Amino acid sequence: MAIPHPRDIQLAVVNWLDDRYPFTKAVDEALYQRVPNFANAFYYCFGGMVFILVVLQLLTGILLALYYVPDASGNPSPAYTSVNYIQSTVYLGWLIRGVHFWGANLLIIMVLLHMARVYWTGSYRAPRELNWMVGVTMLLIILVFSLSGYLLPWDNKAYFATEVTIKIAGLAPPPQLGVFIKDLLQGGSVLGPPTLQRFFTIHVFVLPALIVLLMYVHFRFIRAHGISEPM
Amino acid sequence: MASLLTATVVIGGAPIVIFLWPAPPKGQKKTSIKVSLTKPISQIANADAVKFDAPTSPNSAFIMADGGGDNAAGDLAFGGFVVKDATGKVNVFAINCSHLGCSIALNTDAKTFDCPCHGSRFHLDGSVLHGPAANPLSHLNWKQDDANPNTIMVDGITLGF
Amino acid sequence: MDELKKEGPGAAVSAPAKEVPLVESDGHVGHTLEPEWKRLPIGPDHILYPVVVGLALFPILMGDAGHHLADDMPDDETHPFFPDHFWPYPIIAVVMLIAVGLLAAFVQKNLQLEPSADPRAVTIPRPDWYFLFLFQLLKLGPELFMALVIPPVVLGALILFPFIDSIAGPRMAKRLGWKSWPVPGRNIITGSIFVGGLAVVALLTLWALAGPQFCLPWIINSPVCGA
Repeated sequence: MAIPHPRDIQLAVVNWLDDRYPFTKAVDEALYQRVPNFANAFYYCFGGMVFILVVLQLLTGILLALYYVPDASGNPSPAYTSVNYIQSTVYLGWLIRGVHFWGANLLIIMVLLHMARVYWTGSYRAPRELNWMVGVTMLLIILVFSLSGYLLPWDNKAYFATEVTIKIAGLAPPPQLGVFIKDLLQGGSVLGPPTLQRFFTIHVFVLPALIVLLMYVHFRFIRAHGISEPM
Repeated sequence: MASLLTATVVIGGAPIVIFLWPAPPKGQKKTSIKVSLTKPISQIANADAVKFDAPTSPNSAFIMADGGGDNAAGDLAFGGFVVKDATGKVNVFAINCSHLGCSIALNTDAKTFDCPCHGSRFHLDGSVLHGPAANPLSHLNWKQDDANPNTIMVDGITLGF
Repeated sequence: MDELKKEGPGAAVSAPAKEVPLVESDGHVGHTLEPEWKRLPIGPDHILYPVVVGLALFPILMGDAGHHLADDMPDDETHPFFPDHFWPYPIIAVVMLIAVGLLAAFVQKNLQLEPSADPRAVTIPRPDWYFLFLFQLLKLGPELFMALVIPPVVLGALILFPFIDSIAGPRMAKRLGWKSWPVPGRNIITGSIFVGGLAVVALLTLWALAGPQFCLPWIINSPVCGA
């Protein structure tokens, strides 16, 4: 029996898939769709850069989570020790943590640039109002990302910055509501291990799920509306 | 149908909200905390203050007796000052600024407490000298330990973590 | 397998090669023109087809596209997404990766850990650069108003801006005698609001960055210093 050429195997697979879903047609439509030439302006690429950076943050975040311990009991706490371990002992740990840190900073710059471009060229106008609102919501999520991520190393800087942040949230009137918000965020009457546990859960489980979902909606809207007209 | 859906949301959502509500950690209890000062109160000069911290083993915090702004009676503090004001009256203040709770520091030149975070300043009697803080510093309930002049007993809590 | 013929440009490889039309222009005869679809000749029988599928998977999952502006435009005013529109992104990705990698390697200052958190320590918390303006704003008025009224109001206006723009805009244009209400890039009012807002944020950030020794007189809590 002759061994089939790899190309024939690939064709067989593609054909098999094609019988079940219009596969090659979908690939062609997706890849060779026409794009207006004005969309080549450099300022139209900020959104793509944000997307690349979010993917980068998800990847480096997963890698960091392999070593990070969300436990703030004692001094020095396991959380602090584990971040120190990532930074100093893990192979390329300094690189992954550094990329996660600087990627977050760059991400915020790119989000702001993208938003400024959308505003400046009036791309939020009908029929794209909903996508603008989804975008502003994602900006908020990214800011909450950075607030919750700030606490995770559990050093003095993280602790006191978060304390002030939570206290600002706890100013909400009436006082009972403020105390309620504060206790809910802190997981107790004082900033401690339960707070780190909550912030870790928000940073690692809740927000990534939310932002992936919203990015999906964002891209669906872009696909439906097409690229916006030049101003 | 509407009531069925409402019931589903309530039955599904209520346990989640209750679950999120923090339970007090085990081993947390109110006590009177023994605090050693660097010098006995009688040796503190007028218009001077001595800083003290809450003990770390077991991990403890002080309970504020009163408050305003960010501080409130029952809030926790991890440090405090024993202060003699210009007239020689002794006060014990929690270390937290009444603005947003940063740790105030004694300014020995100006005889004030300064907050490094947002620039609030307080007189040595705890009243506000300069905003953004709008309320005086919080007091701690304390009493002199009879056996040792360097030691005071301050109302506090063992945190349990 | 041999006579695989499918619709669409990606499958064109297995079909008989198209003749490239020769066009005479200014004495240059016989030059090959740009192909109708400027793309990589990668069809279903090409070894790299799975890579192309990987690229396409994302837009496929995004669902059907709507009727787009490009569909109504002449071909010379449009170009195909792949590779003409796509090619800068891998380069951008690599450049950004190298940039953050170099930052991680050489700018350690912000990554250095302070001692493990101790509530008894006296530390002056300072937020990240992108929150500095809020931090400074907090000092400029009653904290409740500055923290829980102004930011939510600004944020609400931002979220609802498309509606504010479409409802209040034309009315304002009518009052000013303008023919239309242009986009912010061509609109003195919304454009100025944008630039002014950015200027306020930038000034507050600079004020905070100027440090605790830099103080300015202010209506409330005067003087207000940086952070």
